[in-house]
Amino acid sequence: MEGGVSYARMPRVKIRELKDDYAKFELRDTDASIANALRRVMIAEVPTVAIDLVEIEVNSSVLNDEFIAHRLGLIPLTSERAMSMRFSRDCDACDGDGQCEFCSVEFHLRVKCMTDQTLDVTSKDLYSSDPTVSPVDFSDPSATDSDNNRGIIIVKLRRGQELKLRAIARKGIGKDHAKWSPAATVTFMYEPEIHINEDLMETLTLEEKREWVDSSPTRVFEIDPVTQQVMVVDAEAYTYDDEVLKKAEAMGKPGLVEIIARQDSFIFTVESTGAVKASQLVLNAIEILKQKLDAVRLSEDTVEADDQFGELGAHMRGG
Amino acid sequence: MNAPDRYERFVVPEGTKKVSYERDTKIINAASFTIEREEHTIGNILRMQLHRDPNVLFAGYKLPHPLQYKIIVRIHTTSQSSPMQAYNQSINDLDRELDHLKSAFEAEMLKFSRDY
Repeated sequence: MEGGVSYARMPRVKIRELKDDYAKFELRDTDASIANALRRVMIAEVPTVAIDLVEIEVNSSVLNDEFIAHRLGLIPLTSERAMSMRFSRDCDACDGDGQCEFCSVEFHLRVKCMTDQTLDVTSKDLYSSDPTVSPVDFSDPSATDSDNNRGIIIVKLRRGQELKLRAIARKGIGKDHAKWSPAATVTFMYEPEIHINEDLMETLTLEEKREWVDSSPTRVFEIDPVTQQVMVVDAEAYTYDDEVLKKAEAMGKPGLVEIIARQDSFIFTVESTGAVKASQLVLNAIEILKQKLDAVRLSEDTVEADDQFGELGAHMRGG
Repeated sequence: MNAPDRYERFVVPEGTKKVSYERDTKIINAASFTIEREEHTIGNILRMQLHRDPNVLFAGYKLPHPLQYKIIVRIHTTSQSSPMQAYNQSINDLDRELDHLKSAFEAEMLKFSRDY
């Protein structure tokens, strides 16, 4: 567009761990603003589906209607389809009513306790009109006992008590309400770069080395039993608490170790609620960020405004 | 009761432009862009990307007030460029970087699941 000059970077990614609800990866060759934008978008702007309207027909349980409605809203629902769904307020099929198939999913719950045993009403008792949007399954596939039916408990019913309701789930983002946030937590840390001053370290006795190594609340350093040298065993365990620096200063050895947070390397930890897979959450966040950038592009009529000075404008720009 | 609706924080009201441009009347090649319904997510990456453009002399952003849901990005460039040009360039570069990041992540996902 502007004739080829580009200041875009080429970030690198390396995945360390990847599970359905957890991802850990390294992000390099970019800066903190991109990492933080990704983190913010993952937490508050990636859309998911959550129950937003509850019509209760019968509720003879001990909890009141509002309490049950709130608990229903917090149940994570599988939201693979959320990116392509419509927001209720923008939907033209139902004229903003928010109950058509394009912008909502209907759920039903009908449970009555007929035995003397207390009945647990769980998220598994919610029936969805759309099989792609259903309560997240927290069962452990490897377990075989009957306690493995681990739906989220909504309410407990005694004999004769009944719960009957209809619920509407809609697309939303975490910025509106936390129930729509797909992330349990997303964090990133700067990768630490640790340099030990070997000359200063050699002036310490073995006992002093042991004392200094133990001053770190997390296990970052260790003494090699063979060579008696202090070495870094896990740089990432460092929590930027400066304890080892203070200890070195107290021992009269400032500069014993130098610890720098690298400004272009980040270690991300993404934990999903289960609504979206952790890997998909990252991809959705990148997509949403691109959409936001498209939204803030200058529109055509704004560009024309800059030409109001005509040749004078060109002269002012030195072209 | 009198609390503002939550969606006001991210839905651009009707009749308002998402981005508006205001030339500085005192300094040549300086301008302010007002971006509605955005905050630090976009403001920070935009500012940092503008800093990487050698033609940009000044780039900063601010949220005027927490209840005014907009950011004001101020850009001052050399005579070789213009605020509008620098603004467009930074968005294009960020878009390219995110495209690259997405490809890198997808490739890494494939590799990871294959090695597993």
